[in-house]
Amino acid sequence: MMEPGAEVAFHRPRTVQEALALLSADDGAVCLAGGATLVAMMNADLIAPSGLVSLSGIDVLRTAERLPDGAVRIGAMRHHRQTADETLLEDGQQVVREAARQIANTPVRNMGTIGGSIAFFDPAADYPPALVAADAIVDISGPNGDRAIAAAAFFVDWYETALGAGEMVTGVRLPAAPMGSVGVYHKLARVSGDFATASVALVLAMENHTVSHLAVAVGACAPTPVRRPDIEAEIIGNGLDDAKVDRLADALAERLDPVDDVRASAAYRRLVAPRMVKHALCRAAETLGGRQ
Amino acid sequence: MNEAKPFGGGVGESLARPDIREKLVGRARYIADLSQPNMLHAAILQSPVAHARINGYDTRAARAVPGVAAVLTGADFPDGRMGAFIKDEHAIAKDKIRYLGEPVAVVAAETEAIARHAAKLIDIDFEELPAVLSPEAAMIDGAPLIHEDLDTYIKIFPAICGRNVASETELAEGDVAAAWAGCDVIVEDDYKTAPQAHLSIEPCGALADIDEAGRVTLWSANQSVFRVQANVCESLKLPMSKLRCLTPKIGAGFGNKMEPHVQPLVVQLALATGRPVKLILNRAEDFETVRARHPFKIRCKTGATNDGTLVAREVEVLLDGGAYSDDSPGVLGYSLLMARGPYRIPNTRCAGKLVYTNKMRFGAFRGFGNPQVSFAGETQIDEIAATLGMDPLELRLKNMAQPGDPWFGGGKVASNGLGECVAKAKAAAKWGAAPGKATSSTVKCGRGVAFAAHISGLLGTGAIVRMLEDGSIVLNTGAVDIGQGSDTVLTQICASALKIPVSQVALASPDTDGSPYNWGTTASRVTYTTGRSVAAAAKTVEAEIKKHAGELLECAPVDLELREGGKVGVKGVPDKEISFLEVSLRAHWAAGGPIVGSDTWVFDQPSVDPKRAIARGLPFPQIGVYSFGCVIVDVAVDTVTGKAEVSEAWAAMDVGRAINPAAVEGQIEGGFVQGMGFALMEELIWDGGRLVNPSMMDYKAPTFRDTPYAIHSIIVEEPEPDGPFGAKGVGEIGLVPVPAAIANAIRDAVGIQPRSLPMTPERNLRAMLERDDAA
Amino acid sequence: MTGHPLTLKVNGQERALSVSATRTLLETLREDLALTGAKRGCNQGVCGACTVLVDGQPVRGCLSLTANCDGAEVTTVEGLADGNVLSTVQQAMADTGAVQCGFCTSGMLISAFAFLRDNSAPTVDDIQHALSGNLCRCSGYRKIVDSILLAAKRVA
Repeated sequence: MMEPGAEVAFHRPRTVQEALALLSADDGAVCLAGGATLVAMMNADLIAPSGLVSLSGIDVLRTAERLPDGAVRIGAMRHHRQTADETLLEDGQQVVREAARQIANTPVRNMGTIGGSIAFFDPAADYPPALVAADAIVDISGPNGDRAIAAAAFFVDWYETALGAGEMVTGVRLPAAPMGSVGVYHKLARVSGDFATASVALVLAMENHTVSHLAVAVGACAPTPVRRPDIEAEIIGNGLDDAKVDRLADALAERLDPVDDVRASAAYRRLVAPRMVKHALCRAAETLGGRQ
Repeated sequence: MNEAKPFGGGVGESLARPDIREKLVGRARYIADLSQPNMLHAAILQSPVAHARINGYDTRAARAVPGVAAVLTGADFPDGRMGAFIKDEHAIAKDKIRYLGEPVAVVAAETEAIARHAAKLIDIDFEELPAVLSPEAAMIDGAPLIHEDLDTYIKIFPAICGRNVASETELAEGDVAAAWAGCDVIVEDDYKTAPQAHLSIEPCGALADIDEAGRVTLWSANQSVFRVQANVCESLKLPMSKLRCLTPKIGAGFGNKMEPHVQPLVVQLALATGRPVKLILNRAEDFETVRARHPFKIRCKTGATNDGTLVAREVEVLLDGGAYSDDSPGVLGYSLLMARGPYRIPNTRCAGKLVYTNKMRFGAFRGFGNPQVSFAGETQIDEIAATLGMDPLELRLKNMAQPGDPWFGGGKVASNGLGECVAKAKAAAKWGAAPGKATSSTVKCGRGVAFAAHISGLLGTGAIVRMLEDGSIVLNTGAVDIGQGSDTVLTQICASALKIPVSQVALASPDTDGSPYNWGTTASRVTYTTGRSVAAAAKTVEAEIKKHAGELLECAPVDLELREGGKVGVKGVPDKEISFLEVSLRAHWAAGGPIVGSDTWVFDQPSVDPKRAIARGLPFPQIGVYSFGCVIVDVAVDTVTGKAEVSEAWAAMDVGRAINPAAVEGQIEGGFVQGMGFALMEELIWDGGRLVNPSMMDYKAPTFRDTPYAIHSIIVEEPEPDGPFGAKGVGEIGLVPVPAAIANAIRDAVGIQPRSLPMTPERNLRAMLERDDAA
Repeated sequence: MTGHPLTLKVNGQERALSVSATRTLLETLREDLALTGAKRGCNQGVCGACTVLVDGQPVRGCLSLTANCDGAEVTTVEGLADGNVLSTVQQAMADTGAVQCGFCTSGMLISAFAFLRDNSAPTVDDIQHALSGNLCRCSGYRKIVDSILLAAKRVA
C-alpha cells in the first residue's frame, strides 16, 4: 500500500497521443493496462508510481482485425480471454491462442492484456515464446513516433524490452501462417495457471512429408525466448526424422541459460526443455501426418 | 451409547451447517470483517536477520508520524513465556532475534497504511549472531545456542533436552536389536519430507477491545479460545480473568491457528492505547511468522521373513523445530507412536530428536507427524513386498493389526475397522485390475496403496446443555468450528440424544467467559471428546426431564421414555405424555430449578503400558481412540517431464459412526487433496535464513485442474464403544496415508523409489533416468 | 487526499464515490461500502477469494483499481440472492455440503455464477477449467464441482 500522503495521479486518456503526452510529463508515471501485474506489484510494495495512465479508454488499442496483407493485428489492450478465443487466428497463428489459453485462470484472463504482458516481460510468461515462434511484430508508439520491431528483438533481457523512455506497445501483428500449418504451445508448470517452468512454442507446416515451415521457441529457460532459426533453415525443405528433431533440440539446449528458482532448478530446465521440444515436435508432425 | 433414529437432522443425516446461509450470502464475519468504534490498526516490523542480540531501539521517527498511537518493541512487553510444551516464547522478540522475519516491534495507528509506514521507520540496534540453520548444524559441539536459558524454561512434561535439543523421545517394544538376525529381508533407507504451509485461505489476525476497567475482549482467527487466553495471559503476565476470548467465523485452521500468532500483540497495544486494536497479517507475513509442518529426516528399517511376516521395525527421526518449540514435542512423540503403522510388528523401536534452528517455528499441521513417518513406513512396506514378490496389499493384510490388538506401546484399541476399509477400497478400486488407461504413449500409469491409523482425542473438554423456558435447548461446548463442521455435528448429537429436531437446539459461540473448557479443535478430537461430553450432558438433562415428568405424570422416572419432537411419556401408554415446555416451566417456576446438564471429561487411558514398552521423554501419557483407513491411488506419470498426477483415488476411513456423512466425506476429500499437495508439489524453501517463497505466486497448492474429480470417499463404521453414537475422529486421517499411496503408485508406474517429498517432476525424472542408466 | 470521483453500480445500486488512484476495488467494497463478502486472501490475484463481477466478467477485486472502473456494473456475492431467495448455485452449494470454512465461497460463487450463466451443460472438465482460479483448501474441490453440476441440472 502507498505511503500515506503520497498522492498518485490517475488519468484515463482517449487516444494514444494523449497517453504518450501524460507519460512524458511525469517520468514516474506508468501505463495501467489490465492491472494484473501492476496492481499486484503495487500491493506488494514493489513499485510506487507517481501517476497511472489507464489505457482502458483508448478504443484503437482494444480491437483485433485482419490487415490487408493477411496478418492479424491484436490491439495491446486485448484481454487474454479475447486472444484465447480469437477466431481470426488461423493455422500456425494458433500458437498464440494456445498460449493465451494457458495464462493463469479465468478472472486473470479477463483482466490481463497482451500489451501489458509483453511490455512487462516476465521470461516465464506464455506470450513471449509463442510470439517469437509466430514471427510476430510488436508495434510501438513513442515521443519520436511509431515503430515496429520483431518480437525476437523486442524481448531483450530479464524484464527488459526494447521499449525506450516514454514508449508504449500499441499492438502485435502476426503474419499469416502457411496454410495447413499447426501451432502448438506446450507448458510445463507446477500447477494449472502457474508461470511456466519450461515451455515450447512451435509452428510447423509440412508438404508431402517435407517440412515447409518450422519455428520452435523455448520459453522460461533463458532471459529471452530461445530459437535457432539457423538450424530450422537446415531442416526446412527436408523430411523430419529423429536425427533432425534431436539436432534442433540439442541446438536449442546449447543456447539455454536457465536459473534456479522456486519452480525448478536450472539443471532440470536444461534436462527437460530438449525432451519437451522433441515431444512437441513429434506430436505436431504426427498431427500433420508427416513423420518419416 | 444409544442409537438414535435420524430425526429432523439427527445423527446420520448430512445436515447443512447451521451457518450455511450466512456463508453463502457473504454475511459470515471473519476476523478481517470485524471492527469496533475508535479502532486502531496495527502492523508488525519484522527482523532482517536470523539470529541476533537486540541492544536497543530507536522509535522516535515512528512515533512522530501523524496518526500513530503507539509504538511497542520487545522492551515494552512483559517477559512472560508461553509454549504448549516448553515455555520458551515471549509475545514478541525480546533481547534476541531468533528467526529472520520474526516480529520485533508493532505499531498501532489510525490506518493500516500509516502503521506499516511508521513500522518501517523503527531502527533496531542489533548485533548479528551466527545463524544455525539445520538440526545437524545445531547439534554440533560449540554451535551457537538459540535458547541459552533452555534449562530454566518451564516444561509441562519430562523433557529430555539440552543445548539446542528441545526434546528427545523413544518408544520401544520387544527386542529390535536381536530381531534383525531372524529376518530374511531387511530394507533400510533414509527419507526426507519438506516443510508444508497450511495455506488457509484466511490469513491470521486479531482484534482486541478494552473496557474502562481495563478488561480486554479479544477476537482472533483461532482454533481454541482457551489456548488463545492461556497464551496471551502467560506471555503478557495477565490474570486470565482480565481477558475474554471470543471467536469470529474462522477461515480454516489445519493447525496454524491452534497456537498464538498476533493475539498477544494486539492485546498489549490495546492495553497501551486504551483503544480497540486490529491487526491482520498480509499473506507474506502469514507465511513468514506463523508456523508450518515440520520437515522430517527419517531413517527407517523394516525386516521380514520370507513368507512376508513383519518381524522388526526401527525408525529414527530428526525434526527441525524452528526457533520456538510450539507443539513440536507433541509432534515428535506422536510421530514415533504412529511410526509402526497399523501392523503387528513385535519388535519395534522408534526414537527421535527435536532441534531448535534459526527459522520460523514449526508446529501442528493436520497429521501431526504421522504423514511424514507414514511416507517412510508405508513405502518401505511396498519395498519389502516387491523384494518378496508379494502383492503389497496382501502383505499388509497378512500383518494388519487385528481387532483387539493393542497399539504400539500397549494402548488399548477398542474399535478397529481397518479390515472393512481394505475390503471396501479393494472392491471399489478393483484392486488387481490394471490402473486406468494411459492417455498417451509417453504417460505411464500405476497404482498404489497405503494404510493409516490416527488417534482422536487429547486433553480436556466439556459441555453444558441448558433447557430454555420453552423447552428448547442451548448447547455450549467452547469448541471452535474452523470449517470442519463441529457446530453441525455437536448439534446433531445433542438433538438426537434428546430426540428433538436440530432446529430446537441453539449453539452458543465459544467464549472463555461462559463456555466450558475445550482444549481446542485439533487432534481430530472434537466429534469424539466434545461429542462424548455433549451426549453425557444430554443424558443428565434427560434424567432431569424424567424427574419432573415423573412428578407431573405420577410415575417413576424409570417408566418414562423420551419421544420424538420434545416429549416425554409413559412407556407403553402412547397418550400419556407431556412436552418439554411443560417440564421446563415446572423447573423454572415451581420446583427443582432450571434444567442444566453438564459434563466435563478428559481421556484417561494410558497410551503406554510399562509392562509392554519402554518410553522415554514421551510428552503425553494418554491420548485417545483410534481411527483407521486405507487409500488406493491411481497416478499417471508423464515420462517426458517426470510430472506425476493423481487420476483417481479411493479413500476408505473407519470413523466409528458418521454423525454427518457429507461432513465426513468433506474431511476425507479435503485431507486427500492437502496430502496430495504435500506429496507432489508443496515445499517451503529456505535460502540460508530467508524463506524464499512466502507468497501464493511462489508456493503452490493444488487447484481444481490439478485435482481429480474421482476421489471416492468410503465411510466405514466400526463403532467406538465410548464414542458419541459410536463416533470417532476423521479430521486428519484422510491426509495421513496419501503421500505414501502416491509414492507407491509412482513406483508401480515407472519403477522408481521416491524417498523425498515432494515428488516433483525433477526428482521423478532424475530417478527415472538413473533407473534407465542402471538398467 | 483529493479523490477521483466516479460512479459504480454495485449490486444494482448506483454509488457515487471519490477514491485515491491506488485504492483497489476490494478495499472500496469492503471498507467504503461495507460489502465484506469479498475477501482478502493474498492481495496478489492468486487465491480468488476477492473475485467479483465487473461488467459481467469475473475479475480480481484486489487487482482492480476502483478509479479505473468508472461507470462499471459490479456484482458481489451479496448481490446473487434475490431478496431471501438464494440463487440456484447458492442453493446447490448448500445441498451438496460443499461449504466448509466458507472463506473461498464468495469468490467461488461469483465464478460459478458467471460460468453457469454462459454454460448450460457443463462437464466436470469444463467446471475445473472455469474455476481453476479459485483456490479452496478445505473441500478437495469435489463437492464444489458436484454443486455446480447440480445447479446446471436444476437450471435446465
